[in-house]
Amino acid sequence: MKKRLVLFFALVLALVTGFTAMTATTANAATDTSLSKVQKKGTLVMGTSPDYPPYEFQATVHGKTKIVGMDVAVGEKIAKDMGVKLVVKSMSFDSLLVALQTGKVDMVISGMNPTPARRKNVDFTHTYYQGGYSIVINKSDKGIYKNKDSFVNKTIGAQTGSTMYNESKKQTSGTTVKGMTSVSDLILALQSHKIQGVAMEKPSAQAYVANNKELAAIPSDFNLSASDTSASVAFKKGSTALVAAANKSVDQIKKQNLVNKTYLPAAGKYLKTNTVNTSMFHYWKAFLTGIEYTLIITVCSVFFGFIIGVILALARMGQGGAIKTGFRWLATAYVEFIRGTPMMVQVMFVYFGLGLIVNLPALTSGIIAISLNSGAYVAEYIRGGINSVDDGQTEAARSLGMSSGKTMRFVVLPQALKNIWPSLGNEFITLIKDSSIVSIIGVSELIFQSNIVRSDTYRGVAPIAVIMVLYFILTFTASRILNYFERRMQHD
Amino acid sequence: MTKPIIEVKNLAKSFGKNEVLKDITEQVDPGQVIVVIGPSGGGKSTFLRCLNLLETPTSGEVDFDGENLTTLDTKRVNELREEMGMVFQGFNLFPNMTVLENIKLAPMKVKGIDDAAATKRAHELLKQVNLDDHADAFPSSLSGGQAQRVAIARALAMDPKVMLFDEPTSALDPEMVGEVLNVMQELANQGMTMVVVTHEMGFAKSVADRVWFMADGYIQENNTPEAFFGNPQTERAQDFLSKILM
Ligand SMILES: Nc1ncnc2c1ncn2[C@@H]1O[C@H](COP(=O)(O)OP(=O)(O)OP(=O)(O)O)[C@@H](O)[C@H]1O
Ligand SMILES: [Mg+2]
Repeated sequence: MKKRLVLFFALVLALVTGFTAMTATTANAATDTSLSKVQKKGTLVMGTSPDYPPYEFQATVHGKTKIVGMDVAVGEKIAKDMGVKLVVKSMSFDSLLVALQTGKVDMVISGMNPTPARRKNVDFTHTYYQGGYSIVINKSDKGIYKNKDSFVNKTIGAQTGSTMYNESKKQTSGTTVKGMTSVSDLILALQSHKIQGVAMEKPSAQAYVANNKELAAIPSDFNLSASDTSASVAFKKGSTALVAAANKSVDQIKKQNLVNKTYLPAAGKYLKTNTVNTSMFHYWKAFLTGIEYTLIITVCSVFFGFIIGVILALARMGQGGAIKTGFRWLATAYVEFIRGTPMMVQVMFVYFGLGLIVNLPALTSGIIAISLNSGAYVAEYIRGGINSVDDGQTEAARSLGMSSGKTMRFVVLPQALKNIWPSLGNEFITLIKDSSIVSIIGVSELIFQSNIVRSDTYRGVAPIAVIMVLYFILTFTASRILNYFERRMQHD
Repeated sequence: MTKPIIEVKNLAKSFGKNEVLKDITEQVDPGQVIVVIGPSGGGKSTFLRCLNLLETPTSGEVDFDGENLTTLDTKRVNELREEMGMVFQGFNLFPNMTVLENIKLAPMKVKGIDDAAATKRAHELLKQVNLDDHADAFPSSLSGGQAQRVAIARALAMDPKVMLFDEPTSALDPEMVGEVLNVMQELANQGMTMVVVTHEMGFAKSVADRVWFMADGYIQENNTPEAFFGNPQTERAQDFLSKILM
């Protein structure tokens, strides 16, 4: 099953687990209120990463995009049996468990297999599906490859960090194993003959083959333990009552073979409607949503980042007095710290870290994180801009009786802003591009949307080309507008 | 006896170890025109800037209209600065504003005067300095002489009781010096109290009530222009005059 475990996310997880352990009261069966809480609010929030057909993926149903797949069907059954409504929340696979621990979601169903490492942090239900692995090849090579052992001196691709990736390395000899993050990219590499096979899960392989006449699937013949190929539902550690309730549903699913009989065929149907029309125009709504969110994030972050930047710059320039010195020190430390850590970590920290205290939606978290980040950079521009204004300007203003505050506001800042307008403009353009980082917490901006379209259409390049053009249109338009204002400000 | 408007008592100012002003005690009466002259680096600018507290004195006091500036809080100092206009060698006009906006800014933002009244007053002042046709120009399009006259109008817009000038003509081309000095002379004729740092000896002779000669951190001589130029008392002043009058 999907098991991408980037070290970084493991660290965040460990951190969050630590926090939770400190703050949360340890629950046991007798006192566990997890089930009654869910029943009281009437909704069961399921976290999933919808880029993995037929487990979960986005489909266009009556012109609306919707998350579907066999995992969603499983989630619906569990919710129904509990007598509550299912709410599906999408985010990147790597963020799912952290979201579970911080209470952003009640459960995770995302083709996740219950490895011992994961069991340390969350509780799993019984297995609802026992899968297996196949290798997808080009149909033209069908006679050449039989199983994993046919790839001597060839290359097999697999999702980086997945079980398949590790097993391919371990269980083949003389075969190069190439790792990539997304299955769509791997299929693209296969079709352009950069690799000769892609190891993936059986249902996924079937979906790809069914939707692409150029591809074929062969058995992998890997030696695997059951726990490496099974899928379970994850709950927050200690929610015994919820797990017990979900297990009842899962046991029914197993007994009646619902996954193979009902859920997979239903998902397959969506896949068909989904791939009937893989033209990019068909997905214009998805891209439009992407543009909309990218712009919302950028504009809000620029606005708040600017305000934060001004405050930081003024704090950094304050002279004299213990309080002013304290603020100066704080502002300097803040700017150095923000500039010395990756924006990605900051986004994760705000979403998951702050999430322990207040439950912020992903979009808000993203805007906060990027504003805080941008503020540190803008502060430096503004400081430079203020320093570039001649001291004589301040003296003239002060000699006219203006207070230091009014001098700053009416005389120095307007001139400083004019001087740094090009830098601020650059910051805006940079943010249009950098806002893509919030895709990791599941905000549906352009990159996130293009990934969805890629996995829905099985087309690797076209969506990338589309967003490339879209990004360029955004940045180019923005820079024209900024230039226009820059010219209007030129008086001397 | 009229009360002095500015009284300086034992004023001293150092920058680190550099004692620029050592011990200055002088006073300015209402309506008086004082010309401060002296060698470069003698502390004239520093002295002038201590009068409106742009520079904080190291010791001693500066009384304005009976209030000791060095003991007042920032708010009161700001209020008293309104009553002391200052004109700089480098004009220091706000480059991002038109001439009119330069003049209107402080009256509107500090005194809270409404736009119409401020505009009306600004035009009056511009007429006074013969520049009303440049009201909508930006400073960058003005000649030095014009810019300095705008700066004078800007300072006058706060209706100050005293005007401080720091070498107002030193940065000007020679042919523009006259137009600025004329405006200053007119101001003096109207009874404005003025402290002027300048190297224009003609102006000092014809307009000043007193000449203060400043060197080495002290006011070395305080005299009428006739006495000072005709019969300088100190060797320092004689030396200085012989150099510049050649
Ligand atoms: N902000 C400051 N920091 C340190 N030293 C200063 C400062 N301002 C002035 N000085 C020093 O004080 C001394 C007197 O300077 P000031 O400008 O008052 O002289 P001045 O008589 O106006 O000279 P000039 O005729 O050249 O304008 C000089 O040695 C100068 O270097
Ligand atoms: Mg000077």
